[in-house]
Amino acid sequence: MDFEMQNQEKPIIEFNGVSKNYTNDTHALSDVNIKINRGEFVFVVGSSGAGKSTFMKLIMREEKANTGTIIVNNFNLTKMRRKQVPKLRRTMGIVFQDFRLIPTMNVFDNVAFAMHVVGEPKKKIRKEVARVLSLVGLGHKARSMPNQLSGGEQQRVGLARALVNNPDLIIADEPTGNVDPNMSYEIVSLLSAINRQGTTILMVTHDHNLVRDFRHRVIMLDGGRIVADNAGGLE
Amino acid sequence: MKLHSVRYLTGEGCKNIWVNRLMTIASVGVLTACMVLIGLALLISMNVDKIIGNLEQQNVVMVYFNDKNSVLYGDADPILAEGETFDPEKIADSHYLIHNVDEAKAVCEEIAKLDNVASVEFISKEDALEAVKSTMLEGQDEYFEFLDEENGNPLSDGARVHLEDMGVFNATVAKIKTVSGVNNIQSQGDMAEKINSIKNGIGVAGVWIIAILLVISLVIVSNTIRVTMYNRKLQISIMKAVGATDAFIRIPFIVEGVLIGLISAVIAEGVVYFCYRVATETIISSLDANQVIPFADAAFMLLGVFAAIGVFAGIFGSAIMIGKYLKKEGSEFSAI
Repeated sequence: MDFEMQNQEKPIIEFNGVSKNYTNDTHALSDVNIKINRGEFVFVVGSSGAGKSTFMKLIMREEKANTGTIIVNNFNLTKMRRKQVPKLRRTMGIVFQDFRLIPTMNVFDNVAFAMHVVGEPKKKIRKEVARVLSLVGLGHKARSMPNQLSGGEQQRVGLARALVNNPDLIIADEPTGNVDPNMSYEIVSLLSAINRQGTTILMVTHDHNLVRDFRHRVIMLDGGRIVADNAGGLE
Repeated sequence: MKLHSVRYLTGEGCKNIWVNRLMTIASVGVLTACMVLIGLALLISMNVDKIIGNLEQQNVVMVYFNDKNSVLYGDADPILAEGETFDPEKIADSHYLIHNVDEAKAVCEEIAKLDNVASVEFISKEDALEAVKSTMLEGQDEYFEFLDEENGNPLSDGARVHLEDMGVFNATVAKIKTVSGVNNIQSQGDMAEKINSIKNGIGVAGVWIIAILLVISLVIVSNTIRVTMYNRKLQISIMKAVGATDAFIRIPFIVEGVLIGLISAVIAEGVVYFCYRVATETIISSLDANQVIPFADAAFMLLGVFAAIGVFAGIFGSAIMIGKYLKKEGSEFSAI
């Protein structure tokens, strides 16, 4: 069995006894144990303050766990130095609720930006950006500025930026929070299509209708603990 | 870092100048104002230094030699053997040190070898007499006509000595006095000390003024950069989220800072030129034109100083301020 195959069998995200407390004595996560395998689509649900954001921040290594170990994409986050964080983040694509597009850059440059960060040559950038923009249905809006797009279109640009480096994992923090219901379905459909090509998707959402309709694995957090983990989705 | 990445980041830094043009204008304005103040302080200091330098150049000491006339008519004591008494009617060569022009010129050469002596000009007693006559009012020189070679010229041979640095004026005069053949020296030691203390005072004040202005400039520039950074927190958080290294995030800001510094330097040079021209044409018109430093003489030095301030402020201001944001973790995901 070669290294590549061993790699495929290992979970892409693994939490072992992870707890996170903030300095103001808030227990954001308590003794979380979870494994997410490569190629899975996982919804993370829970009320406000349940620990969803902390869960995502720990995966991105935006925060450090107080106890326990976290492995993401073969990176041990508990031992990781600050200098290595960019390497981890290049293996994942991130989609934000508030889109986070750079307002002074057009659609093409916003997406190309993520490829410049990893040092890709111009020729490859032109080709790949065109490919992902047409994948999200925005090939014709490459020269538009973010303020000329609707909320749904802006989120699709954010999705294109997350996809452009072909990451193993996409983390989406309430990507449908600022778009209308129709567009929400379109975005999750798009994420599902990407997932079918092998990319692991971890999506935080409040929208129970979406979770019910798409029937992916659901992890439910409450008070910093995992209270449910349903492989078949919500009934 | 790959070459095409460096090219991209440099391009981004240049582009940011235009994209964030309001902040660019504010930063350039603040930096230019500081540079103009520093430039004007430098020019004023240089001009005062030059004016004092002119005074220094006029600083001349007159050295008189120990010759026959200095013993007969001046204050020199005759050189006497033990038990010998001096009779002016019977003055001999052994009673004084300088007997002819060659010996006088040799003393001049000795003086010229001393430190801080810029030049030595031999003045014969005949030339000295002519000079005295020339200072007389019209017709008055006739009174001195009897003082020709036959009737005897009572003046001594001497030398006009120009000194370089007034700071060691008294020490130099003391050294000249020790040269064999020198009888006495006429100088304005008090004047030299006053000019020297004024020069030192202005030098110290100039250094302090420029240092204070430099500190003020750095504080203002770093505050301007802080405001710029605050406005770009979103951009920095996105860069961090997509895996940009610290260097990748820093470079466009540093390029932008350096460019702002250089643009400010060029504008400041123009403004200082305009202010200096107006000042030299109006306020200083009453002074001798030679006493004012031409702008062209200071132009490259000023541009160099401005560019150095601009580049320094740009690099350090950007690097230090952005460093604070880079080290602060936890801004990529949560609300900014």
